[in-house]
Amino acid sequence: MNPNLMSRRQLLQLSGLSGIGLLLNGCGSADFAEGVGNAIDPLNQRVEELLLRPQSLALEYPISSIQPQELRINSFNAAPQIDPATFKLVIDGAVDQPMQLSMNDLQKMPLQSMVIRHVCVEGWAAIVQWGGVRLRDLIALAKPQASARYVYFTSGDGYYDSWDMPSALHPQTLLAYQMNGQPLPKDNGAPLRLAAPIKLGYKQSKWVTKVTLMNQLPSKKGYWEDQGYEWFAGL
Amino acid sequence: MTIQKMSPPIPRQQLVIKLFHGIIIVSLILMISSGLQIYNATPVFGGRNGWHFPGFLTLGKWLAGGRDWHFAMMWVYSLNLLIYGIYILLTNRWKKRFFSGRDLQNLKAAAKPKIKSYAWHRLVYTGIIPILILSIASGLAMYKPVQLAWLANLFGNWQTLRTIHFIAVPVLLLFMVTHVLMNLKIGGMRMIRSMFA
Repeated sequence: MNPNLMSRRQLLQLSGLSGIGLLLNGCGSADFAEGVGNAIDPLNQRVEELLLRPQSLALEYPISSIQPQELRINSFNAAPQIDPATFKLVIDGAVDQPMQLSMNDLQKMPLQSMVIRHVCVEGWAAIVQWGGVRLRDLIALAKPQASARYVYFTSGDGYYDSWDMPSALHPQTLLAYQMNGQPLPKDNGAPLRLAAPIKLGYKQSKWVTKVTLMNQLPSKKGYWEDQGYEWFAGL
Repeated sequence: MTIQKMSPPIPRQQLVIKLFHGIIIVSLILMISSGLQIYNATPVFGGRNGWHFPGFLTLGKWLAGGRDWHFAMMWVYSLNLLIYGIYILLTNRWKKRFFSGRDLQNLKAAAKPKIKSYAWHRLVYTGIIPILILSIASGLAMYKPVQLAWLANLFGNWQTLRTIHFIAVPVLLLFMVTHVLMNLKIGGMRMIRSMFA
């Protein structure tokens, strides 16, 4: 055998070693996460849509199990100043009856309360009681057009996010103004915030000022999503 | 007259087994390193003030990148394991190559050391299979705790679920070291090479 020629075994060993080198090299430096995410996200999102049971209720907990100390305050900006007395929630977009509702209007609607597990993308979770209006009731009031497929939430602090319609119409998706039996604190999103057991915490916009129904998503889908987090983020 | 000592036969592995084995190594390295990135966002032990893994062990640069890798490689890891499972069932490999009642007898009885080593090793790599499956189950339970509530409820509360999912990491690393050492003991470098070349 010609000693200059590499045996098949040596070649495989070398390629294996360089493969490991490539992997280790990937750790820490530029590591293709974005490309990998973009490649797999359509499949994962499809699976999440299939897994979602839009009418099935998530587990609710007894009021005694709430964990106020576990709920961390995360926001990308300081809490905005919103005067609840003059606050108006705007519902617009692909609806036949755009509307503006005051806190008084909202509090006259049926109060829905739930004790659910709030799960953050960071890995922590907390059992929380939320009280508020079902988003589906609000959307029904505004007479949604059949073409509407997404709901876009604008917040008083500049945060923005968007949801798929089935998740927005889930019976446990609330615009909440109560938390743990008290009026919603300012740092937790007062006067009005999203609360739902079926999505990760970053989907649950605080200080919601506008709900816009859309036929198509704009290129800016959500504050964290635009930086690389998953858009669907179902639980 | 001298009698030449016969060297033992060169161990051989089927190509398909080498493929399963190679894919599980690569996918586990990527799952673990991206998993440590996710872990660091809120350490399972001690919360945000807990000990964090050093950056060079983590994949994905930040939490979103770690999640990108983790939820992509979960497909490679679990489909590889599933196809391997079907393969060992169809080929009866599960009867021939995994821990059996006969191995148990050999461990209890005064069998030759070599036979005992084989039995111990089969016990170790058979025992890791439930751990591999458990890490998929606990991972799915954390990924979709509401839609897969039936699964998530099996693991108790959130902290227990996170702990069980994380424990797979030290168990797997311990297994990898043991697996290599036992192979070296049983068949030396020839045994190791047979799985890669």
